[in-house]
Amino acid sequence: MFPAWDAAQPEITDLIVQHDPGTLQRLPVRKQELVEVFSKFRNRKALRAVQALPENGGILDEREIDALFLTVHWEMQRLAEEFYHGNRVWEILRPVVACIRQSGIRDTLRIVDVGCGIGYSTRWLAAKIPLAEHNIEVIGMDLNSTLIAEANRLATAESLPCQFLHGDAFSSQHSNHVLLSTGVIHHFRGPALFEFLRRHDQPGLQAFLHFDFQPWFLAPLGSLFFHYLRMRTAIARHDGVLSTIRAHSARTLTEAARSSAPGFAAGIYGARIWSTPAPRVFHTLVGLRHKLVPELHRQLGRHAMRLGELR
Amino acid sequence: MTLLALYLLALLDGLLCGLRTSMGRCPLIRKRSYYTRALLRGIAGAQVISMLALGALLLTSAFSSHRAPFRADLEAIAGRMLWVFLPYAALVLTNLALRLIPSTDLRSATSVVMLGPLTAMRPVVMIAGVLFGISASELPETRFLGVFILGLMLALEFALNRRAARVQAIEIRRLV
Repeated sequence: MFPAWDAAQPEITDLIVQHDPGTLQRLPVRKQELVEVFSKFRNRKALRAVQALPENGGILDEREIDALFLTVHWEMQRLAEEFYHGNRVWEILRPVVACIRQSGIRDTLRIVDVGCGIGYSTRWLAAKIPLAEHNIEVIGMDLNSTLIAEANRLATAESLPCQFLHGDAFSSQHSNHVLLSTGVIHHFRGPALFEFLRRHDQPGLQAFLHFDFQPWFLAPLGSLFFHYLRMRTAIARHDGVLSTIRAHSARTLTEAARSSAPGFAAGIYGARIWSTPAPRVFHTLVGLRHKLVPELHRQLGRHAMRLGELR
Repeated sequence: MTLLALYLLALLDGLLCGLRTSMGRCPLIRKRSYYTRALLRGIAGAQVISMLALGALLLTSAFSSHRAPFRADLEAIAGRMLWVFLPYAALVLTNLALRLIPSTDLRSATSVVMLGPLTAMRPVVMIAGVLFGISASELPETRFLGVFILGLMLALEFALNRRAARVQAIEIRRLV
């Protein structure tokens, strides 16, 4: 195995921006600490990318890192566009919303995109779906204030009916009906994955949809080729491939969800392309209140076959 | 006719270069006008290249001591180039046409499985097409012209990409 493909290591973008978990204040990041992390894994590719990061007296230059982060996230949006991610989100979100409505909830449904980055999914929904007709409110949340500021700027530029908040989506200040995320869940590993899913067990929450890469033996090669062609920054190329290697299997996700959030039936949606054995690049961990499960099958209609066992 | 076909292919290539180099550099959701501008920029670039190629052709022709054979040789190598460029263009256009089918999986598949590799192959196809064309050439000036045009074609995407990167960097600097 290549050192850059070791799933035990973090992604570079996990490390170059750090926040105080309590205050969400940005913390200074020492470049040498990053070098030490990737030296341990003998990951020369990551080391080269880290060495190239601008610094001031050994501390990563915040402004330059923010510029890099925005560049990477703009690029990542291109991938979401190429995969028609917005359509994929709405394909499963629409029946989930419909079955929540069928259960008698008439309030405005609050749908929160956890770790939204520059908020592609949220802004796509706001731009393409008549949210007012569905009585839905879409909100993106992220711990990175630069990305949230950018998401808000973009939403304002296009007058989109959505908002973005800097903070923790699971905080008791927020009451959400549906949580969704894209490419976030693989960042939680081991006990952190169970803790992340345990935090879903909130009284008002009706469903969660976590989209992430689907691991299979050709995924790293496909990802390497795809990122080499499409991405322009070394960090995006490195982390993009590592993401597919770190992605959790369907079994890991469903078992973790079933044991950590027992109030929800959990399963995988969209693992295969049509009815073929070919895997989709992304699959979705679906969690739904048990009483809503029969209605979801009905609402999915012909797409019901894309849903794995939900229990 | 052959030269016209090559010219049209150059415009198509410029159009797609303009599109490719602009992708991933605008995070808006609705960006039809952004992509329209990118396409037009690509066509304009291809037009500039075509004008330069035409200028080089006319100059070579003016200084050539055997104009009639030069013209015949030029037609012959252009015809041979089409043997490589036309199937490539047909493949690209077929995959773009497939994206009109409203299936997210099909559209993603064309992007990942076909358009990605076809993009990666572009420089190789360019070089192969020109080399295949000039391999049958009888005159050194046609060979020179072929290599000159190849250089222009390869420079187009590079130049458009540099421009797009510079514009993006300025925009991001304003934000942070």
